[in-house]
Amino acid sequence: MATETEQAETVGGDRSGVYTSFVRWMENLTETQFAYFLLTPALLLLLVIAVWPLIATFRLSLFADSFIGGATVGEFVGLQNYIEIITGERSASLPAPLLPTSLSMSALFESALAVTLVFTLASVFFETLIGFGQALVLNQEFTGRRWVRVAIIIPWAIPIVIQGMIFFLLFQPDIGLLVGSEGNGILQQLGIMSNTPLANAQDSTLIVIVADIWKTTAFMALLILAGMQSINRDLYDVAKVAGASPWQRFKTITLPLILPTVLVAMLFRTIQAMRVYGIIETVSGCTTVPSLSCLVIQSFFQNSAVGSAATIAFITAGIIAIVVSVYIVGFAREGI
Amino acid sequence: MVKGNNSDRKRGRVSRRRFVQAASASGIAVGLAGCVGGGGNNNNNNGGGGSGDTETPISTEPPEEEVTVQIAADSNFKGASDAIIQTMRENGGLPDNIQVEFIAGSFESGDRRAKYQQLLSAGQENPAIIMMDNGWTIPFIARNQLQNLSASLPESIISTVQDTYLSNMLATASGQNGDLYGIPLFADFPTIQYRKDVLREAGYGDSDFDSWATESMTWSDFSTVVADGKEVLSGQLDDPSRAQGFNWQGDAYVGLACCDFVEFMSSWGGSYFGEFGNLFGPVGDRPITVEEEPVINAIRMMRTFIHGQDDPESLEGYEQISPEAVVQYTEEPSREPFTQGRAVALRNWPYSIRINAAEDAFGEDLGVMPLPYQVTAEESKYGPEIGGIPSALGGWHLALNPNASETVKQGAVQVFRALQDDQVRLDLFEIGGWIPPIPDLIATDQTRELEPIGRYVDQLKVAGENAVPRPVTVAWPQQSTQVSKEVNASIRQQKSPADAMASLASSLADLEERASQG
Repeated sequence: MATETEQAETVGGDRSGVYTSFVRWMENLTETQFAYFLLTPALLLLLVIAVWPLIATFRLSLFADSFIGGATVGEFVGLQNYIEIITGERSASLPAPLLPTSLSMSALFESALAVTLVFTLASVFFETLIGFGQALVLNQEFTGRRWVRVAIIIPWAIPIVIQGMIFFLLFQPDIGLLVGSEGNGILQQLGIMSNTPLANAQDSTLIVIVADIWKTTAFMALLILAGMQSINRDLYDVAKVAGASPWQRFKTITLPLILPTVLVAMLFRTIQAMRVYGIIETVSGCTTVPSLSCLVIQSFFQNSAVGSAATIAFITAGIIAIVVSVYIVGFAREGI
Repeated sequence: MVKGNNSDRKRGRVSRRRFVQAASASGIAVGLAGCVGGGGNNNNNNGGGGSGDTETPISTEPPEEEVTVQIAADSNFKGASDAIIQTMRENGGLPDNIQVEFIAGSFESGDRRAKYQQLLSAGQENPAIIMMDNGWTIPFIARNQLQNLSASLPESIISTVQDTYLSNMLATASGQNGDLYGIPLFADFPTIQYRKDVLREAGYGDSDFDSWATESMTWSDFSTVVADGKEVLSGQLDDPSRAQGFNWQGDAYVGLACCDFVEFMSSWGGSYFGEFGNLFGPVGDRPITVEEEPVINAIRMMRTFIHGQDDPESLEGYEQISPEAVVQYTEEPSREPFTQGRAVALRNWPYSIRINAAEDAFGEDLGVMPLPYQVTAEESKYGPEIGGIPSALGGWHLALNPNASETVKQGAVQVFRALQDDQVRLDLFEIGGWIPPIPDLIATDQTRELEPIGRYVDQLKVAGENAVPRPVTVAWPQQSTQVSKEVNASIRQQKSPADAMASLASSLADLEERASQG
């Protein structure tokens, strides 16, 4: 029978043995394995912060809405919420249908998914285009460049609610100069907008897109400008000596080297645009321009339909994941 | 794959052995800190928290200790809190040991509903009293989130409330079995405001204005009067095209479903769910009547007001009196042109009477009348409650948070008692224009002396007597979205009234069925 001292030594020896074997195991890891080992805590944290809410949302989406009693959700219904929302069976209960109910223009602008996609495509395209142009200008040396940069950044710095009120008032009949209650506004006389643009889904979507472009182009311009300024100036000098025209220098030096930055900036903007809510709520209201986020927020806060809200939220996350995948495939093809 | 050799690794600044040691030490430290820090963060839920039981009897005796009763209200109440508390102490007998603290919530009703939903779901003790819009109190009752006052307070208190307050308003604070869950704080009744000075030039006189004050008129007569006034106003403005006739709120928002459309519809004798008795249920077991002729005619009349006789759905006998912009007007955008002197008439809530009747606005040239009607209460299929002069019932209740501690609930009962005093109600009317939800208190000698609203208390009384509540049930939040969407689409000429109402009927039926399933 071992004495107490012997037992303690054995336990201590076991501990020491575990530690030594753990260190030995670690020392034998490859650089890649060791890198993953070090990343494990961060990945676990990400799992808790990012993945757990997704799982929780998915779980909620499997339950019916509850309108009576203290329970947040009703009975377990499996994928019924998804089926009913996607097939349009649930459209009457939702503030707006997820998918267009017909192929008409009015049905298109009543559908949350269509409105979100139209908003995303238009705003990201024009923000990239205009932002690229602004970055090209700002990349040149000229007097007052610093002030021009400040002027470009100002819209980005304005809080979204203030910006929303600016555009709301701009398109209020007889308040802004653009629209008059009797069709006497500038935009009405030009035939660009109806007499009541903030009650008209197409007009309101256009206004929201313009408002977003006005604000967020600066973001794109700054990101692209940062990419442009990282290009080695010697390349341009060499190209000039070789007789390359400005267009050739842009096409063969600027564009290829800036493309990764532009794609990453577009990815960020696309994700943000797919989640659009604030500017819509403040300019026209979600009833007129129903985005996916509007649908989630109205279902949750206004209708207390937690199951439906969770389902739309998860569908939205899925759609964003698909869009991100498209970008990632694009990056892979470009070798980014 | 190349395995790094040990000598290379050891040349690094931190060896893996050292890393394991450091990480272990840090982990233990963080773990200990977590254990220490995680212990004492539960104070809010301990130490006298309420049971959350909604039917426990509450003592009506004042508490002996110092108690603070928080009331979730709005910035107007918070701004006037000193005056309100003073009258509650002096006239309502609120004991000195009960401190009242008003908390200003968002001015937007929907934001406050969402906030209260969160705090009641979380079982928070404070605020003890919550000011709730009569348009969304019932869903909270259905979720069992409010104290049942009928079960918790003596019958004498409840019967006093039920005998004196507007019955239609009480209905929006009552459960399916008639139990009371909130006490009306103030009521709101829309009226028509109009420019007497303009109509005088159009040939109308004081005898007309006096008659309209309490008897109102039909919509067809009203449209003629406004059209006459608009003609005069057009001649007065530098830009005649900016003259407007009758402004109201036709935007696709909850106000259209709860109020403006309810008024147009019921003035024709139409209703969402047939008889008045069906307004609050039973959900899923009541007729849907939005496709009936009175409802369709109400929309056709709204369209005629906006688009005139050129509209294929127009009704004969009505003038084009509203600007097209009404389809995107809510309260304030509709009021501004009127206050600026560019409109003849405005449908709005009493807050705007105070603005427009001020001396620096129209002063005594502001006329007020109850809303016009098209069929009398007797002629209406669902009369006498539906039909005749319409007025959407607005207003707010005070409800009790069941999670408050027993002592705070006792204090809250004293606050309710103080607020029931007639003089306190009248003082609230004077302080902030909060109309007493008690018909007998609206038009009194004392209220007539209040400037400027006192000039219009007779009209408000008529509006109050004819006030129609919105059909608030657990399904209403979703139904109101569908109503406002369809009605707005129709008045924008995107859908015919019949198509819009057929689509609405289908949506309402679907929502009724879903809500009735729980």
